[in-house]
Amino acid sequence: MTTNLDTNLLSAALDRVLPPVDDLAGAGAMGLAEVVVERSRADDRFWDALSTVMNALSVGEFLSEDGDGQDGAIRAVESSDPNAFTLWLDVVYSIYYMQPEVHKRLGWHGRAPQPEGNSMPPWDESILSNIRKREPFWRKV
Amino acid sequence: MTTDHNTDRIADVLIIGAGASGAAVAASLAEAVFDVVCIEQGHWQDASKFPTTEPDYELRRMSSWSINPNKRKLPEDYPVNVNDSAIEPVMFNGVGGSTILWAAHTPRLHPSDFKVKTLDGVADDWPISYEDLEPWYDLNDHVMGCAGIAGDPANPPRSPRQMPPVPLGNDGEMLAGAFDRLGWHWWPSDNYVNTTRYGEGRDACNFCGHNMMGCYQRAKSSTDLNYWPRAIDQGAELVTGARVREITTDSAGKATGVNYLDREGNDQHRQARAVVVAANGVGTPRMLLMSASEKHPNGLANSSGMVGKNLMFHVYAGVTGVFPDHEEPWVGPAANMIMSQEFYETDSDRGFLRGYSYQTGRGQGPGSVARGANVPWGADHHKQLERRLGNTVGLGAIGDDLPEEHNTVTLDDRLVDSSGLPAPKITYRVSKNSRALLDHSLVQGQKLLKEAGAEEVDVNRFSREAGWHLMGTARMGDDPERSVVDSNGQSHDIDNLFIVDGSVFVTGGAVNPTPTIQAIALRTADYIATHRQDLKA
Ligand SMILES: Cc1cc2nc3c(=O)[nH]c(=O)nc-3n(C[C@H](O)[C@H](O)[C@H](O)COP(=O)(O)OP(=O)(O)OC[C@H]3O[C@@H](n4cnc5c(N)ncnc54)[C@H](O)[C@@H]3O)c2cc1C
Repeated sequence: MTTNLDTNLLSAALDRVLPPVDDLAGAGAMGLAEVVVERSRADDRFWDALSTVMNALSVGEFLSEDGDGQDGAIRAVESSDPNAFTLWLDVVYSIYYMQPEVHKRLGWHGRAPQPEGNSMPPWDESILSNIRKREPFWRKV
Repeated sequence: MTTDHNTDRIADVLIIGAGASGAAVAASLAEAVFDVVCIEQGHWQDASKFPTTEPDYELRRMSSWSINPNKRKLPEDYPVNVNDSAIEPVMFNGVGGSTILWAAHTPRLHPSDFKVKTLDGVADDWPISYEDLEPWYDLNDHVMGCAGIAGDPANPPRSPRQMPPVPLGNDGEMLAGAFDRLGWHWWPSDNYVNTTRYGEGRDACNFCGHNMMGCYQRAKSSTDLNYWPRAIDQGAELVTGARVREITTDSAGKATGVNYLDREGNDQHRQARAVVVAANGVGTPRMLLMSASEKHPNGLANSSGMVGKNLMFHVYAGVTGVFPDHEEPWVGPAANMIMSQEFYETDSDRGFLRGYSYQTGRGQGPGSVARGANVPWGADHHKQLERRLGNTVGLGAIGDDLPEEHNTVTLDDRLVDSSGLPAPKITYRVSKNSRALLDHSLVQGQKLLKEAGAEEVDVNRFSREAGWHLMGTARMGDDPERSVVDSNGQSHDIDNLFIVDGSVFVTGGAVNPTPTIQAIALRTADYIATHRQDLKA
C-alpha cells in the first residue's frame, strides 16, 4: 500500500474526473486532494481504494499526458479495478459535494439535513378521490 | 441506562437482541410481571450525534454510518461473508436494532401471503393466518405510532391509524396522478413516522429526507424510544455491550441461559428459565449454530436441519425518473410516500408466481446523485448531475422472494467477529421467479414514470446492498421435521426456547416485514404470559 501519496498526481486526476465548470475550478485545483487523503486515512476501505487508484496511475507518465491521455489512463484503472475505482470516485464525489462553493454554483441549500429540516404542505385527503372509488381487491383466502 | 449485572439471579426470560422484536417481547413480558433480562451486543444511541446534523453526512453514510456492517465495522458489528451471495445483508446492532436505521415504512402482509402453498402451489403455508396476527399488528401500530389512513382497497380493512399520513409532496402527487391515469392501485404508505407529536418526547417529522441515518428529531419510531423505556419502567434489565456466544442447555436438553462476553471481554454466564432469540434473520441462525454441543451437534433447535436454510431477503430493483422542471423532491422522509400493490398477487399471464409492491423514493443530496446511475465522471459530469439533482423520483420494486433451501446462513470457517466468534456466511442466489418479477416491475415502472412525465428513466436492474429484510432461517410450522418453531414461536426441540424475529417467516410476501415481525413477537410474548406461567419464579 502506498503511504506517501503523490498529491500532484491525485490533484491532476481530480481535475479530470471533476473538471472546471463555469467559474469554478476543477476538484484538484480547488485543493481537494489533501482532503481526499485525510478523509481516506480514516477508513481502511477508502485508503485501499485510493492507494490502488494512485498506484495504477503512477505507473505511466500521467502528469505529462494531455487531457485525453489522462482520461484514457483513468479509464484503464476503471476497467482493471472497478471496485476500487468506484469507491475512490464515491469518496471524491462526496467530498466535492460538501464544498460551499459547489453548493453555491448548484443553487443547493448546502446545509446539513438537520436540525432545520424542510417544510411540506399538510396532508390533503382530496388526492384519494379517485382511488377511493376502487372496490377492495385483496385476495381472500 | 444499562442496569448492573446480577449474575446470580435466574431470570424468567432472557432475550438475545434488543432490536425490533426483542424490545416488543421485553416490554410485553415485563408488563406481565416476568423477570426479564436482555443481552445486547450494541449500545444506546444518542440522537443528537446522528450524522444528519453534519455537512459530511453523505461521506459518513459510506463508512461509520453505513447500513452495511461490513463497511461500518464497529466493534459491536459482526462481519458477514457475502462472497457467495447476490445480496448483502444490512442491519444495525444496538438498542433498537435495525430500527435505528430503518425507513419505518410499515405495510402488513396480505392474507394470501400466509397461504401461498394452498393458493399458488409453491413454498409452504404458514401455521397461522392474517387474522391470528391482526390484533398484534394493531397493538404494535399503537405502541410504535402509525401515520397513514385506513381504506386501502388492496388490503383488508384496518383500524384507524394513529396519525394522518406523511404528506405526499409534489413528487408524490405527481406519481399519484400517473397511477390514477393508468388505473393502477396506489395508497399513501403506512409509516411509523410521527406526523404529529406522538409518544413520550417524540416530535413530528421535519421532513429532512434522510431518516436512514437515524432520526435526530426522534420522529421516526425505533424501539429504543418506545418499547424499551416501557420495558425498563416495568423492571426489565437491559445489558448492553454484551455479546452472547452460546445458549447453554442442561442434560435434559433444556435451555438454561447464555454464555456471553461483557464490555471488557470477560466471559459471563446468565441463567434463565427460558431463552428468547431475537437476533434477526442472520444473527439468530448464527446463534443457534454457535450453540452446537455434543447433545446438539448440528446446532440448537435444529433436529429438522432447517436452521439457517430458506434465507429470504426480498429482491429489489428500481427505476428513477428524471423530471428536469421539478422542484425539491428530496423534501420528506426517504421512502415513505406511496405504495402500489397493483401487481401483488399471482397472475398466471405474467410468467411468475406471487408478485411485488412499488415503493416510491425521493431524491437525495448531490453526493448521492453523483454516485447514482448515468452521471459519468469527466466532461459530462456537471451537466448530468444538474439535470438530476432535485429532479428525480424513484420507484422501487420489492419482490416476493420465495424460500429455497439452498439459500443459507452458515458459520464461516475463517472469518470471525471482534470477539473471535465465527461470522455468518451467506449463500444466496436470485431465483428465476424473482428475476422474472423484477423484470416485469422494471417495464411497468418505466411506463408509470413516463406517464408521470419523466424525460428520462434510469434503470437499476438489481440492488445488491439491499438485504434489509432478513427472513426464513428458523421457519415456523406444524411439522417438526420441516420447521424449527411451532406457531407460537416455541422450538419444536426445546420447549423453553423461543424465536421471535424474521427467522420464523415461512414466506416473505412483498412488503417490508417489521410490523409482522413485531406482531409475531407480541403474539409469542402473549403465549408465554398466558400459557407458560411455569417459567415464572
Ligand atoms: C437501512 C434499513 C432500512 C430498513 N427499512 C425498513 C422499513 O422501511 N420497513 C421495515 O419493515 N423494515 C425495514 N428494515 C428492516 C427492519 O429494521 C428489521 O426488519 C427489524 O429491525 C428486524 O428486527 P429484529 O428484532 O429481528 O432484528 P434487529 O432489529 O436487527 O435486532 C437484532 C439485535 O440483536 C442483536 N444481536 C445479534 N446477535 C447478538 C449477539 N450474539 N449477542 C447480543 N446481541 C446480538 C443485534 O445487535 C441487534 O441489535 C430496514 C433495515 C435497515 C437496515
